[in-house]
Amino acid sequence: MATTMTAPDNVPGTTAVTVELPAGVEIALELRALSLWYGARQALDAVGFGVPARKITALIGPSASGKSSLLRCLNRLNDELPECRVEGEVLLGGTSIYAKDAIVHEVRRRIGMVFQKPNPFPLSVYENVAYGPRLLGVKGRRELDASVEGALKAVRLWDEVSARLDDSALALSLGQQQRLVIARALAVGPEILLMDEPASALDPAATLRFEELLHELAQRYTVLLVTHNMQQAARVSDYVAFLHQGRLVEFGDTDALLTNPRERLTEDYITGRYA
Amino acid sequence: MKRTASGDAALWACAGAAATCLVAIVALLVWLGAAGLSALWPAPIVEIGFADGHAVLGEMAERRGDTLVIRGSERERAGGSYVRVDAHAIVSRSEPRDAFAITLHDGRRLFGRGDVAAAAALLRSIPNAEPAGVAEWPNAHGFFHRTAMFLRDAGRFLAGSTMAPSLTGGAFPALVGTVTLVFLMSLIVMPFGIATAVYLHERRGFAAGLVRSAIANLAGVPSIVYGVLGLGLFVHGIGADVDRWFFADRLPVPTFGSGGLLWAALTLALLTLPVVVVSVEEGLGRIPPGLLAGSLALGATRGETMWRLLLPAARPALLTGLILAIARAAGAVAPLMLVGVVRLAPALPVDGAFPFLHPSRQFMHLGFSVYDAALASPDALRGIPRAYACALLLVIVVVALNLAAIVLRNRLRERYRVLEG
Amino acid sequence: MPGNPVTYTPLLTGVRNASVVERRRRERVGNALVLAGAAVVLLALLVIPLFLGASILAWLPLPDGAWSRLGILFAGSAKAAVCALVLAVPLGLAAAIFSAQFATPGFRSAFKPVLEILEAIPTVVLGLVAFATLAPWLKANVVTLLALIVAIPALLLAGALAFGGAFRRQAGWLPLWLAPVVFAIVVAVVAGLGPHQTDAIVPPTPWNAVLVGLALGLAAIPMIFSVAEDALMQMPSTHVQAALALGATRWQAIHSIVLPAARPGLIAAFALGASRCLGETMIVLMASGNTPVGDPNPLAGLRSISAELALGLPEAAPPGGAYRMLMLAALVLFVLTFVLNLLAERARAHLRRAQATPVIA
Repeated sequence: MATTMTAPDNVPGTTAVTVELPAGVEIALELRALSLWYGARQALDAVGFGVPARKITALIGPSASGKSSLLRCLNRLNDELPECRVEGEVLLGGTSIYAKDAIVHEVRRRIGMVFQKPNPFPLSVYENVAYGPRLLGVKGRRELDASVEGALKAVRLWDEVSARLDDSALALSLGQQQRLVIARALAVGPEILLMDEPASALDPAATLRFEELLHELAQRYTVLLVTHNMQQAARVSDYVAFLHQGRLVEFGDTDALLTNPRERLTEDYITGRYA
Repeated sequence: MKRTASGDAALWACAGAAATCLVAIVALLVWLGAAGLSALWPAPIVEIGFADGHAVLGEMAERRGDTLVIRGSERERAGGSYVRVDAHAIVSRSEPRDAFAITLHDGRRLFGRGDVAAAAALLRSIPNAEPAGVAEWPNAHGFFHRTAMFLRDAGRFLAGSTMAPSLTGGAFPALVGTVTLVFLMSLIVMPFGIATAVYLHERRGFAAGLVRSAIANLAGVPSIVYGVLGLGLFVHGIGADVDRWFFADRLPVPTFGSGGLLWAALTLALLTLPVVVVSVEEGLGRIPPGLLAGSLALGATRGETMWRLLLPAARPALLTGLILAIARAAGAVAPLMLVGVVRLAPALPVDGAFPFLHPSRQFMHLGFSVYDAALASPDALRGIPRAYACALLLVIVVVALNLAAIVLRNRLRERYRVLEG
Repeated sequence: MPGNPVTYTPLLTGVRNASVVERRRRERVGNALVLAGAAVVLLALLVIPLFLGASILAWLPLPDGAWSRLGILFAGSAKAAVCALVLAVPLGLAAAIFSAQFATPGFRSAFKPVLEILEAIPTVVLGLVAFATLAPWLKANVVTLLALIVAIPALLLAGALAFGGAFRRQAGWLPLWLAPVVFAIVVAVVAGLGPHQTDAIVPPTPWNAVLVGLALGLAAIPMIFSVAEDALMQMPSTHVQAALALGATRWQAIHSIVLPAARPGLIAAFALGASRCLGETMIVLMASGNTPVGDPNPLAGLRSISAELALGLPEAAPPGGAYRMLMLAALVLFVLTFVLNLLAERARAHLRRAQATPVIA
């Protein structure tokens, strides 16, 4: 059964995008006609789709198609850039995150982000993970310990680092650092995880472990993952959104879209006619 | 050929300039070390015999070319018994082993020959003579004993108080004054410097550009002009007002209406502010932007990120700024001459009496001691060596601080190279 | 979580969401503090000239002869600065050219801290050495000094012509080889000429502008060096490479391409050095004799604006005529150094902009 989402009438130049979703799928994050401008340059044009809850959605497309920019809109990190303008809506559980009275740091807490290159803080492993809870006011040593342990266990890092919690996080391997950074994000209790090419800096073995971790995480969290690697998208994701020059071209079930894309553009990209 | 010759000449000229700088700096430091240490090194007592049979006993105060100056026993007053001797008129010269020296409390030195009894007799023969220690026989002992005496005198120099214009009058009050001044200045300059650096790091735009050029211009203002501002605005302006409002009962004796520790610290804080701001801003700028993004993505505000992550990460830069500010303050004498430093302070600015730190008091400063001992000493032959001793101490402190800052800066560069991976 | 019907198990236990209001308030306080700090700094720069100007109370007449005295003081400051720059500019610029264009990176990183140490030495110490040691020596050895000034460059030139070829490959560390040579020349000239001085040139006073020039010049070298070196290091090496490929010698490439291109930076170095020399107090106070003679003879004394301020202000009481005259002198000094600094900053910015634009190949 297809669900069509149309943009509100007061947004000019909108096109209705038909989204195919199996019946009864719950949407964690809903984008409605999201448009983004960096100064005079438009990076996103009326993107609209729904990110299904507790599934992995891959965002694919050629370079400069706006994938990373889209991600940064979803946790309002683009607010930090002075010349950014956003139109449209992003709804988290029905509430717009761009509402006038929205609390930005609360949005970012609930929508976590993992970056392309692991960026652990120059602190100990423990302090990296405890950074978020401390912000939220958790002070008790036992509570902090529990948070840290829980987060590290969720990323399967606890056994490796439990003996060196006080060592510098920079001493870990890249794969460990990436998992540490995810644990850091988990420690503040998000619902959604945005990941921007998270395995691109990792070697193949670490990438494999990472993809296994993704499957586990998807049981509790909604994951939106940007990747330029089609095989990875096929292996890991449940749904795929294909972005081209700032527009959403197609969205759908991974297997269906990758084997039988509806749009010509999608087919060209998947078969490698352009990078 | 001509081209390569002129090329060589130019190369040698430029290299020669660099070499001359090296020679000058090394010579300066070596000279400082020698002059400073020799000021404290125990001088031998010599006996000079002349053609007409009379002899002079005393210690060598100065040797310049063909002229020697001997300091004889100062029976009346310090600096009153110098004897100028022409090298050609000397018939005999010896360092008698039984020659002794006594230092009195007011800094005068007495010389004689003989044993302990002779020393005691000499002491008794002088009215109002109070020895500051025991009589010494410097000629009778070898190098190691002299070294011990030197170390002891150096210790007295560092830890003793200046009670008299003596040769080894202590630099302790000047040290305390300098340290207290620098401490108070740091309390003032660090918060403002860090705040300004954070502001410059976070904002672009017209106001930030204005502040940045203000910093650059403040850095170029001569230090004496800061002193003028301190004297005019703080001492005569705000200080006089404070006296009228809070200390009117003590007038016409000024409390804050004259130079003192507080106004000096404030003046120096203004002077060293650019140094701190530049250092901290540079440190913040070196932090990879991924850290800021990571912290914001976790739901931290910009302020929380700055306070909990960025400033701690820039700690070496903060420390470098502080060290450079302290080094600058230790060496800035000109502004202090206008806002509160004195040759001889009646009391230390920190003591056991509440409130322990007395910001209205005048204080002594090591750098000023150098100037004062050299130019304003009634006894130039004592003043100059004392000035060199103070100068050596000052240079050691300042150079050590600067080397520490250089090491820190290198460590900072290494740390950020690791962070960027 | 509001609006999300999915049962979501938070990873945290005992979360006490710090009140959003509390965090907002702390953020606002922090921002206010930062703004306050920056505002104070801006205020401070404005306060200095405003205060000085206000203290002059320009509507009241200045004491007689105030302007002529100011003229003499300005001449004194200028004389001291000129004597110092005569020493500092050639040495500083030449050393910077060597460090930026000829030296190995190893030498450069070793040489810089040495000059930083010189910059760190308090000027009161340099004043002491000038006052106590150099002054008596100079009084009797003016001819020796002149001989040194001639001998060092001359012998270095001779050495360059004689041995230049042999050292061309070790050019990177040449100063280290030359340093003992320079030292030997100094020792030889001083020892050789010293005792046989004729009284050809005797300064009227041991504390004169030449003495100030030696000490103040040494003090100004690090600043001139670092600004000039910074400018020269910004020059892209491609220019020199291109010239060398055309057959130029290194020095030809430097003096025909690099130096003209770096000229704004070199001018900035000169301006900043001059500003430093004009504003310096302790060396002048201790080594110039503080005699307001207005005599252009470099072997005569001088009195600078800064020395007048240091000596005169403790005695002068506001709002007397003497006090106001001193405030005027301080304002003049401030304006002079401010203008020089501004010039230098504009020149450096100009240089940076010129380097940022790509060269059209």
